[in-house]
Amino acid sequence: MDNVPTAIREKRVWSGETRLAMNDSTPVLRVRNLTKRYGDNTVLDRVSIEVGRHEIVGIVGENGAGKTTLFNILSGVVEADSGQVELNGEEIDPGDYHSATLLGISRVFQEQALIPNIKVYENLLLSHEALFTRALQLIDSGKMIATAEAIVREGGLDIDVTRRTSDYSFSKRQLIEIARACLVPSMVLGIEHPVVLLDEPTAALEKSDEERFFDLMKRLKTRGSLVFVSHRLTEILEVCDTVYVLKDGKLVARLRAAEANERMLHGLMVGRERDADYYHEGEQRDVSDQAVVFQTEGLSSAGRYSNISLEVHAGEVLGIGGLLDSGKSEFGKGAAGIVAPDRGTVTLGAHPARRPEVRDLVGKGVGYVPAERLTEGMISPFPLAWNVTMASGGDIFANRLGIWRNQHEIDVAERSIELLNIKADNAKVPCERLSGGNQQKVVLARWLCRQLKVLILDNPTRGVDAGAKEEIYQLIRGLTADGVAVMLITDDLLELIGLSNRIAIMQHGRVTKMVPAAPDGKPSERQLIELMLSSDANGAGGRRPQATEYVEAVVA
Amino acid sequence: MASLFSTLFAPPRRHHLDVIAGMWLPVIVVLFIILFFTFATDAFMTLRNLRAISGQASALLLACLGATFVVLMGSIDLSVGAIVLLVGAITVNAINALGLGVEALAVGILVGALLGTANGVIFAYGKIPSFVVTLGSLSIFTGAAWELLQGRAIRYDSSNFENLAIGQLIPFVQNIGLFAIGAWLVMVFVCFKTRFGRYMFIIGGGEAVARTTGIPVRRYKVTAFALSGMMAGLAGALAVARLGTAGPTLGQDLLLNSLAAIVVGGTSLSGGVGGVHRTLIGVLIIALLDNGLNLMGVNQYSQMMVKGAVVIAAVLVGQDRSKSVVMK
Repeated sequence: MDNVPTAIREKRVWSGETRLAMNDSTPVLRVRNLTKRYGDNTVLDRVSIEVGRHEIVGIVGENGAGKTTLFNILSGVVEADSGQVELNGEEIDPGDYHSATLLGISRVFQEQALIPNIKVYENLLLSHEALFTRALQLIDSGKMIATAEAIVREGGLDIDVTRRTSDYSFSKRQLIEIARACLVPSMVLGIEHPVVLLDEPTAALEKSDEERFFDLMKRLKTRGSLVFVSHRLTEILEVCDTVYVLKDGKLVARLRAAEANERMLHGLMVGRERDADYYHEGEQRDVSDQAVVFQTEGLSSAGRYSNISLEVHAGEVLGIGGLLDSGKSEFGKGAAGIVAPDRGTVTLGAHPARRPEVRDLVGKGVGYVPAERLTEGMISPFPLAWNVTMASGGDIFANRLGIWRNQHEIDVAERSIELLNIKADNAKVPCERLSGGNQQKVVLARWLCRQLKVLILDNPTRGVDAGAKEEIYQLIRGLTADGVAVMLITDDLLELIGLSNRIAIMQHGRVTKMVPAAPDGKPSERQLIELMLSSDANGAGGRRPQATEYVEAVVA
Repeated sequence: MASLFSTLFAPPRRHHLDVIAGMWLPVIVVLFIILFFTFATDAFMTLRNLRAISGQASALLLACLGATFVVLMGSIDLSVGAIVLLVGAITVNAINALGLGVEALAVGILVGALLGTANGVIFAYGKIPSFVVTLGSLSIFTGAAWELLQGRAIRYDSSNFENLAIGQLIPFVQNIGLFAIGAWLVMVFVCFKTRFGRYMFIIGGGEAVARTTGIPVRRYKVTAFALSGMMAGLAGALAVARLGTAGPTLGQDLLLNSLAAIVVGGTSLSGGVGGVHRTLIGVLIIALLDNGLNLMGVNQYSQMMVKGAVVIAAVLVGQDRSKSVVMK
């Protein structure tokens, strides 16, 4: 090291102060007019943002606003259709995630990317082992451990890097992952001013670790810049310098965090005209005099949702809304019997109350459309017809001897194509050749060919273009006109408001509020969001009740 | 068969070339092998040798048919050869002890089905990977069979039972060949014309999807293993009938050969792709190679090397791996 010029040596061990002095005014990352389309669906529409040196930038928006797509483009996972990304004034085009990392853009994904069964230091320096080799390419673990220890020290984390990663809680591992994304580029790869993308990093954090996280963010700020996506607006306002608001793929506002407040952000995120025709609100009928056809009682699943009792009338759309961690999707799976709940029953019409079980419920006329179309909804390499008939092999498409009625299958599939306006050449095309909207219609057709009484939908229009969306809404209206009871679980607030007769708000696994939504008295998006966020809706609270509260309730 | 096949859905494939590789390449390979050995050896195209081939191929085909369903649903059955051996040992003992004749075939089928059911129940309800379950039962069944045989080949005396395999209901065709072709036709029907067959594709293609539609996945998993065991039982009993004896080496080469035939035929080990009809082609390739290489005087060890290479090459050429991200 002696013959290395001082300036370069200082670069290696640079301090935040010297950095701050350098080129502080030019943005480190500049995004211009980024556009991305999937089919007819424009998910990112000429979005431009700037990230300054030592700045923390927040990006907020509803689900589907384009936040994740933006991150995907910046981190090289997805390619933009048009627009430029400049890093330190030079245009870059990272073809894949690894190249983006080497350029100085790293990312913490929503799902954890640590390998649980190896040591913490091995995870911290994963894929950079080549920098820690001795003669014969043997790995110098001593050096790796020392570097890893420096990283956790720098991050202010109390973690033994020689322990197995799985010894630490999910929350602690999240901190390790954030430290890795933020500190490895500067401390190991020698990148001067890394940009780190954080996608909902606090969703998995325990309360006790949140303080650590904010501390970590502040430490990291001295080394580089951070871009931070979160649904928790208070956090965004607390940590960030600048906040960008995305809506429907467009940039709608850029605010100094110091001058903004939560209410202002909400308004910008959701402020949009709801088109009553789009949701066929005129077709919504009063169903309060109709019989209850589907009822859950005390449905509970440890750690997911608890004590949920809801009823749906014939011809009603019962909306269920809540934040991502509200447990609404899990509840949907429980009510449909896909994942058996720990406690509670469902009652279907005149049938006796029973623990929900998918086969039993399908036989009695309950259908379920999962949110994850490609992993749970359909087998995309299989022919359209196979995906349509999948739920009805027990009673419609096979006879008593188990012989499959191939011709009947084709007939029904062809009729579905016609009735639902599915864009497919014939009933035998593999579903992977269809667009998202047409795929979703195939999944719906699966239930329409049965005598349906109840339909449980989880985000039925996710990844579906606007035209097919409206067709699906019309279909839902058509079903309710026939007396089908629909349970609509969705992250799309407009859809939730536009389609539902009533809206159940879930928070932390509990139903905290039931909001009426008659055609002439629809709640606003802002009202719903406030209910989803509020800590004292209906008294039950956004936090889990303490044991003492139960005791008091019993005593009272 | 044309009418049956034309009503089937074409197996899902992306490109035209893949269809050719997937469906026709194996057939072309069979024809090539036949041509090659016809010119390479004098003894290949003789009535006597063709009869030998059909005998070997029939036993192999019977043993693979059920196991193809297991592979189709994304699992694996390593115990096919062991079931053949154990069923063979039990059948011989049953004939000798009870004086059975043709009835012994039913004993073999039943015992095979029971052994397969045991595999299936442990797999589906114990939630243990099928590879582990059948690796274990492979050892258990083999041990049990050797216990019964005490290391010797046991003979029996029932010409009726022997005729089940080597009799000739149709001149020049051994009955075991009729069994094999008959079973193949039935299984192709089961694969493409029944609920069971469809559910095998669905479970193999997407078990999570099968769950959300209410398909009783576990029950069908057990049934698939029961069918695999049953067909192996039939193969075991008929192998004993063909050979006139049950010895410790019965079914020995089936562990490799059965899986090789299924995979070479074009049923993917990842599940959901392929079909029972293809296993016939895979069986022919394996049986023809075995026989032809023998006639050419290639020694046992080199034969194994050739066969192994063919299995790898078949998967390399025949399967669409464009979407496989993770290979385990």
